[in-house]
Amino acid sequence: MDDVITKSKDVTLLEILDRVLDKGAVVSGDIVISVADVDLIYIGLKVLVSSVETMERLRGAPILGAMQEPT
Amino acid sequence: MLIYLYCVTNKAPELKEIENLVDRLYFVEHQGLYAVVSKVKESEFDEANLKKNLTDFEWVRAKASIHEKAIEGVMKNACVIPFKFGTIFKTEDNLKTMLEEHLQDFQENLKNLEDKEEWGLKLYCDMEKLKSAIGQEEAEILKMEKEINSSSSGKAYLLKKKKEKLLDIVVNKKLNKFSQDSFERLSKHSIQTRINKLLPKEVTERKDDMVLNAAFLVDKEEVGSFIRVTELLTTTYGESGLFFDCTGPWPPYNFCNLSKEKPQNG
Repeated sequence: MDDVITKSKDVTLLEILDRVLDKGAVVSGDIVISVADVDLIYIGLKVLVSSVETMERLRGAPILGAMQEPT
Repeated sequence: MLIYLYCVTNKAPELKEIENLVDRLYFVEHQGLYAVVSKVKESEFDEANLKKNLTDFEWVRAKASIHEKAIEGVMKNACVIPFKFGTIFKTEDNLKTMLEEHLQDFQENLKNLEDKEEWGLKLYCDMEKLKSAIGQEEAEILKMEKEINSSSSGKAYLLKKKKEKLLDIVVNKKLNKFSQDSFERLSKHSIQTRINKLLPKEVTERKDDMVLNAAFLVDKEEVGSFIRVTELLTTTYGESGLFFDCTGPWPPYNFCNLSKEKPQNG
């Protein structure tokens, strides 16, 4: 199917924010990106993302969707 | 120089195809674990400079792409634990100390991830299309439509409002049902699942709305069936305005469960 990603493709902004910057194993390195530092990324992203609501959503504030994280 | 950590694996990684991605990509071995790392400059990655660079999204984008591609390269021949972007050590000794501390954890995770792949599903909905699809087939809506057509203008106006309200309710209900059904059908072919937060249009770069963002850990032998289900779902729900964006295999970003790891936000 056409939608399945091919590995030669560049990583999209979406996957960078959703996977590379947000997930992955976390260990205490000598330098790590803290939760506070993630805000710095959003400051840099501000040129791309305009509204306050959007920023809140990116920061992970609760939003209503079709499905919520099971608890 | 500092040491940037990409991933850990349990067999000697083959780096030939990816060594051009960054300067000095190599691995550090410790007790049967192999940490894939590269030397990075203090002028880019020490605390102060990293903080400064994080505000430059083009820098972040470039480095995050390298991070992803390096891990994908290693993943071709080995099972990996991908680390979060920006995990950095000052010395090789410190890196080895970390490996030692997590030795059992890493080994268990790698064992669990063996012969499995992470796949992602991002489900989008064109709400207008869904609305019109439902409007044309939902008996109750059609009945109201008929009533509107045979009513005086005043009554028709009120009925129209009522119809719009009902349509919104039905649309939401259906959307919930469709995404629930999609998630459940894909879950049947997965070992673990995870539902993540929905992302806004600025990030998805799409016109329709993201309505489900899920990750699945799939046994390699089940991947074919998994993809077939996404195709089947496209056939079933595509006409109703749903778009299934299925991607993979990804490094298992969503399925590394280190015991000391803080719970992540969904």
